[in-house]
Formats: sequence, C-alpha cells, structure tokens
Amino acid sequence: METFLQVLVSGLMLGALFAIVSVGLTLIFGIVKVVNFAHGEFLMLGMYLVYLFTTKLGIHPLLTSVIVAPLLFVAGVVTQRFIIQPLMSARDDHIQIFATVGLSTALINLALLLFGADIANTPSSGLRTPITFGPVRVLLGQLVILAVSIMLVIGLQAFLKRTQTGRAIRAVAQNRAAAQLMGINVNRIYMLTFGIGAACVGLAASMVAPLYPTSPNIGTYFVLTAFVVVVLGGLGSLTGAFAGAMIIGLIDSFAGFYIGSDVREVVVFGVFLLILILKPSGLFSNRLSLSHVSP
Amino acid sequence: MRKTVTDSTLDTAMTQARPNTLPWKRIGLFTAGMLALLIIPILIGDQFVSHIFVTIFIFAGLSTAWNIVGGYAGQLSLGHAIFYGIGAYAGIILMNLGISPWLGMFVGAAVSMVVAVAISYPCFRLRGPFFSLATIAFLEVFRVLALHFRELTGGATGLMIPLKFGWEWMVFRDRTPGLLIAFGMLMVALGVAWWIRSHRLGFYLVATRERESAAQAAGVSTVRVRLIAVAASAALTAMIGTFHAMYLTFIDPSSVFSLTTSIQIAMFALIGGIGTIFGPLVGALFLVPLSELARGWLGAQALGLHGFVYGVVLVLVVLFMPNGIVGLTGRFFNGKNDEKKAQAAPIAAAARASRPPIGNDILVVDHLDKHFGGLHVTRDVSLTLKEGEILGLIGPNGAGKTTVFNMISGFLKPSSGTVKVRSEDGSMMMPVTPGDFAAIGVGRTFQIVQPFAAMTVEENIMVGAFHRHSDVREAREVARETAHRMGLGHYLDAEARGLTIGGLKRLEVARVMAMKPRILLLDEVMAGINQTDVRRAIDLMLSIRDTGVSIIAIEHVMQAVMSLSDRVIVLSSGQIIAEGKPQDVVRDKQVIEAYLGKDFVHAEA
Repeated sequence: METFLQVLVSGLMLGALFAIVSVGLTLIFGIVKVVNFAHGEFLMLGMYLVYLFTTKLGIHPLLTSVIVAPLLFVAGVVTQRFIIQPLMSARDDHIQIFATVGLSTALINLALLLFGADIANTPSSGLRTPITFGPVRVLLGQLVILAVSIMLVIGLQAFLKRTQTGRAIRAVAQNRAAAQLMGINVNRIYMLTFGIGAACVGLAASMVAPLYPTSPNIGTYFVLTAFVVVVLGGLGSLTGAFAGAMIIGLIDSFAGFYIGSDVREVVVFGVFLLILILKPSGLFSNRLSLSHVSP
Repeated sequence: MRKTVTDSTLDTAMTQARPNTLPWKRIGLFTAGMLALLIIPILIGDQFVSHIFVTIFIFAGLSTAWNIVGGYAGQLSLGHAIFYGIGAYAGIILMNLGISPWLGMFVGAAVSMVVAVAISYPCFRLRGPFFSLATIAFLEVFRVLALHFRELTGGATGLMIPLKFGWEWMVFRDRTPGLLIAFGMLMVALGVAWWIRSHRLGFYLVATRERESAAQAAGVSTVRVRLIAVAASAALTAMIGTFHAMYLTFIDPSSVFSLTTSIQIAMFALIGGIGTIFGPLVGALFLVPLSELARGWLGAQALGLHGFVYGVVLVLVVLFMPNGIVGLTGRFFNGKNDEKKAQAAPIAAAARASRPPIGNDILVVDHLDKHFGGLHVTRDVSLTLKEGEILGLIGPNGAGKTTVFNMISGFLKPSSGTVKVRSEDGSMMMPVTPGDFAAIGVGRTFQIVQPFAAMTVEENIMVGAFHRHSDVREAREVARETAHRMGLGHYLDAEARGLTIGGLKRLEVARVMAMKPRILLLDEVMAGINQTDVRRAIDLMLSIRDTGVSIIAIEHVMQAVMSLSDRVIVLSSGQIIAEGKPQDVVRDKQVIEAYLGKDFVHAEA
C-alpha cells in the first residue's frame, strides 16, 4: 500500500513536470496550428541558460526564470516571424514540419558545439530537499513544479478568457480570416502566441534544470512525451493537456514500477499510438475550452 | 468528318513523338553521370574519398527509398530508421549464425515489409504532422525494445560483426567492393523509384497524396497503393541497412534506431527535391561531402557542426526553395517546352449519333435515410435511373442533393436504405466503397472541384484513364483524346492548380469521362461557367448520353436542367417533393414553394 501511494504520488509529480513542459506546446499548436518539433529544444536552450546563470552568476535557479522566460519569449517571436510566418500559407504540411525539424536539428547541434556532449548539472539550490508526508516522499522542486503548472494553466486560461488580447487570440484560433476582417493583426497574434508558448517553456526550464541534468538531447525525450500529452489532451486544450499530463505521468510511473523501468516508454508510446489511431481528437476534446481546435 | 480524322492523327503523332525524343538524351546523360560517380572515387583511390562516396550512395539510396513514401505518397515518415535498423540487425544476427548477409538482407527486407504494413495501416488516417509523430513514436518503441531484448540484439552494448572477409560476407579489407555494392544498391533503389513513378502505381500515389477523395472516385484503392509503396520503401531501406551495418562493422540501438538518421534520410530528399526521382541523390551529393569534409577538417572540436549545418540548410531550403535543388533546375528545363503547346480544339462534340432508346433500370435507390446525430439530411429518398437517361436532381440549397450523391457513390454510408447498381453482365449489385462503385462503372464529379493540383492536366485525366487502361501509353492516349474533346487540349502540360474555375470544372468532367463510366454523377458542373461554355457543356452532355451513358445531374442552371433532363426529381429538406417531366415540375406548386416560399405561391394565386 505504501509503495502504491509512493508510485501514485511520483506519477502525479512526473505528470506535473510533463504538464509544465507541454503547456507552451499546446498553446502554439492550438492557436498557430503548427506542430513545433523544436519545442523540446527551446526547453533545452532554457535549461542551458539556467545552468549558465546559476553557475556563472550564482543566481537561484527559480529566480533565473525572470530572465530566461523573456529571453525565450524573444526566441519564440523570432522563430514565428522568420521561420513559421513565411510558411503559414504553404500548401503542404511537410514544409512546416521540415522547418521546425530543421530548427530542432540545428539547435541540438548548436548546443553540442557550444557545450559539448557532457552533461551540465545545474546546482539544485535546495530544490532536491526531500519532504515526507507520512510514507510518501517528494522533492521540494517537484512540489514547486506542481504548484507552478497549476497556476500557469489557470493564469493562461484567465488570460485567454478575460482579456481583450486573449479574446483576440481565441478569435484567430477559431477563424483566421474572420479575425482578420475584425481588424485583428493576425501575424502579431501569432508572434505573441508563439512567444508566450516559448516563454512557458523557459519558465519550465528554470524548474526542470535543478532536478534533471542538462544535455543537448534532453529536449527530444521531453518533447515526445509532450506531444503525447497534447494529443491526449485534445490538441489545443490547456486543461485537457494538464489532465493528459497527469495520466501520462501516472502511466509512466506505474509501468516503470510494475512492468520494468526500461520498457515504460513502450507503454507510454503504446498509449499514445492507440489514442492517435482510435480517437485522434484526444480524450478531452469535447468538454474543454479551445475544443474547436482540431488537427 | 475529315477534320476530326486529321486531328486525331496529329494527336497520335504527338503522343509517340514526345516520349521518344527526350528520354534517350536523358538516359544518356543519366548513365554518364552515374558512371562518373562510380569511377571518380575508384580513380582517386583515396580511403577518405571512397568513404565519402559510399556514404553518399547509402544515404542517397535510403533517401530514394524514403521518397517513395514521403514524396510520391506524401506520407511524411520520420520513422524510416526502423526499417534501416531491422535490416542492420537482421544482417548481423544472421551473420553470427553463419548466414550470409546476402540472404540476411532479404530476411530483413521481409520483416520490414510486414512491420511497415502493420505500422502504416492504422496510421494512414492521420494527417500530416500526426503521421510523422506516430512514426517517431514507433521508432522510439523499436529503440527501447532493441535495448530491452539483450539476448537478441546485445542491448546497449550493441553487436559487432564477426571477422569474416570476402564477397560472401559483404565485408572487405579495401574500399572498392563496398563502393560497388553501395552503388549497386543505389541503382536498385533508383530503378524501383523510377519504375513506380512512371507507372500507374506512381500516378495513383501522387493522386492519393493530392486529393484522397478524388482518387477514390477515380477508382484508386488509396489504402492499397500506399501500402504497396510503404512495403517497397521499407524493403529497400532494410536491404541498404544490412549493407551499411556490414560497412560500419558495429551497430547499437541508439545509433541505428535513431531519430537523427530518420531525419537525415528525409532531409536529403527534401533538399534535393521531394517527390522527384533524382532529388534524393542530388540532396545527398550536395550535403554528405559538406558534412564529411567539415568533420574531416575540423575533427573533434567540430562535434555537432555537421548537424548544425544540416539543420540550417534544411530551414533555408524550406524557406527559400521549397521544391529543392531539382525544383530549381526543373523550372529552367521546363521553360523551353512552353512553345510546344498542343493545338487547341474547342469542346468537340463528336458527330451526334442517334440517341439509343431508354432502357431498363440501371441504378435503383431505395429508402435512403441519412442523419448526423439528430439532424436528418435525407429522409426516405427513393429513385431509379434508367439506362441512357438523363435525370436532373434539383432543389434549394441544403436540400441534401450532394448527400444523396455521396451515398450513391460510396463516400457516405446511408443510415438506412439500399443502393443497387446493374453491373455490365446484367445482375444487380450492392457496391459499398467508392472503389466498388468505380469498379462497377459509376463515375462522379465533385461540386467543389478536386483537382490533383500538383499534376498536369494530362496527368489528372490519366488518373481517370488508368481505371480501364493499366498501360501508361494507352492511358496517355485516352487522356489526350478526352482532353481535346473537353476543350482542354491547350493545357495538357499545364499544372492543374493554374486553371480557372471553368477549366477546373471541365477537368473534373474530363477525368471522370476518361474512366468511361456507364453511370455518370455530375455535381453542378455548370455552376460558375460562362454562357458559351454552358451551351457547349449541354451539347457535350447530350453526346455523352448518346454513347449510352446514364447520367444523374445536380444542376442549378435551369437552362441546362430544362434542355437536358428526361426526368427531374426535386429534393427539399431531404425529401423528394416532386418528380416528372421538366416542364411539369417547374409548374408544381410545392416546388415553387420550396424555392420561393409560401408568400410567393399566395401572391401568384
């Protein structure tokens, strides 16, 4: 029973981690309707920035988010403006896929050039302190991730629902042409959205880096799981993605414990493939906001 | 009469002239180029140069194989490393058991084909990026499984080939034999790719990529052709994988089942020119030396440099030359052919034969109901079409006309009710899928035109012609003849996406006519075309009817409905409200009400 509880809680913590990484991807997918294969590399980039700021300047990792998130916002805006925007009207999907795949390849290898293949360990600065609740043990950093991911989803949801800009973003997501006719600057909205999506991942980086070692390939692992989460959550729904992340976290945790840690990815991707093939609209597509966003 | 004869002789002359003049020159150029590729490294005799060329051949071969699925069929697989890996592991595992890789590669190819079909079949429903994502997920699963089953694959430590040299083991001390084998494999891949692209299968693949539903209407079994493409591509990839493993002498899961390899394979095709026969080769020729030289010159400090270059080149190519290198040169070559446009002929209504009498029922529709949830789109629609008859189907917008068409061509499954079609041997059949309907001789057009945008007008019509003629030459001839008849003779070599709406409507009809259907379903082919064209189209339809084809036409142009239809059926809110001779139907109170409202009926009275 105690082990079960521990596995359960570990699963939820893992879910929170997936959630915070996936939020930005969901936003970009749901609104710009681009599958950003370079999303994981934004995370990687953010984690290296956190590593540099903590080791070179001695800033606390959580505080680096104040700098890293804006920097990634800029990276996102630049990506949208100079890589995605020229391709928005491309006839074929393959053009956009290759653009972001190319960006991802370039970024991974740039990191390899700059930092080498060695692992970069960000100082944990107390975030690895274990906290025990009866039989269950979690790390302080994991709780921070859970809290921040919940606040992030609520905050973004409120931003999209309550503010004028948020409404404009949703309008663009629903019908680009109609939104344009209503005087919304669609390209600006896309840049803003891509920027926010990238900034979310920057925020995530400041919390993930102290817990996970940084390497050029770190993004690939996270982004594949993030895609699983986005598809599971109904492609573009923030709360759906959050729920999807929790489910994947639990599956990962239980499969790792009860089946074997080396094949848990098989289970996770197996679930992903099943969802993709049997219910491509995702598990939560009918109930939640932004549900109109379909592939 | 005399004029028609001259026209057709001219056509035949052109058909034969074209394929004969150009290819010989091309084949010569191609042979010279390929031989040079093989001879240069042998003459130089340098280890490093040989290595670069072997790598070029291998990646060009892999990329050519990928292009069959990713380019022709438009299924952007980023999981091709699966097949590469299966080939590599099959080769080494069997070699350890004392079986030659020459046999091993066929085992790998067979396993890959099975895996490819099993993976792809469920994934074809997925569009664009989601297909790519699914293939990546499968790749990850294979990598993890390869790590897990240590007894078979050696797990993370990988597998080393036993030290056996000689031709039977595909392992050599010097580089030349490896060069020859890699070259041979590239040639096989190019040969298969060329064969597919220049035969019916290739046309079907491209048509499926461009417009799946239109391809189905033309009788293409879209799933089957894509599975064939995937299987061929996987087999070739696996065979090259086997050889590459022998060449590298060592494999492990992370290097073999790697996303990077998958991406590289696809990237060479894109940079060279996706969907073209030589694009992948050109891409590999351009990029492999670039990265290998960078690696050679800068050594270990440049870890990641070649990957960085690849990524940047990929982004730049996508942004500035989306058709790749071959796309650029292709534009240059095609410029010269512009003057050779075929002679134009206006829609040539063939001399009207006398009209055959109206015969027995050929299409019988009974009690068709269709509802989406609570919304009833059609209720209890029953109608019959007789042989040689033109049946007009009219009704206000949203009456359910197109839904009826979709149900009697297999695109929509009725909620209840039956559709029976008389087959050529006289028995009544109940087709289900669009393919069944096409096979039994039902052809349809789409209200919203569905051209295969990236194909030329001629190729578009050929897709229809392939339904009855599997030979490319015959199909081309039928397509040209149909194009001239439809007044599209001018535009044979033009890409379909450049046509005006009137041209696209004609193309839609031409494609279905090339299928030589017995029953023709025309969905608003006259909407949006000018008066002259309407008159021509009416003549054309009458001439089609006179050749014994039975027609159901959805039409809003009343001039056409009145002069064409033998009978008219009026559909309103999903129900048939009137049926009869055109003159009677337009005076029917209910019909006027359906179109113009109750007030108008009262005002009239």
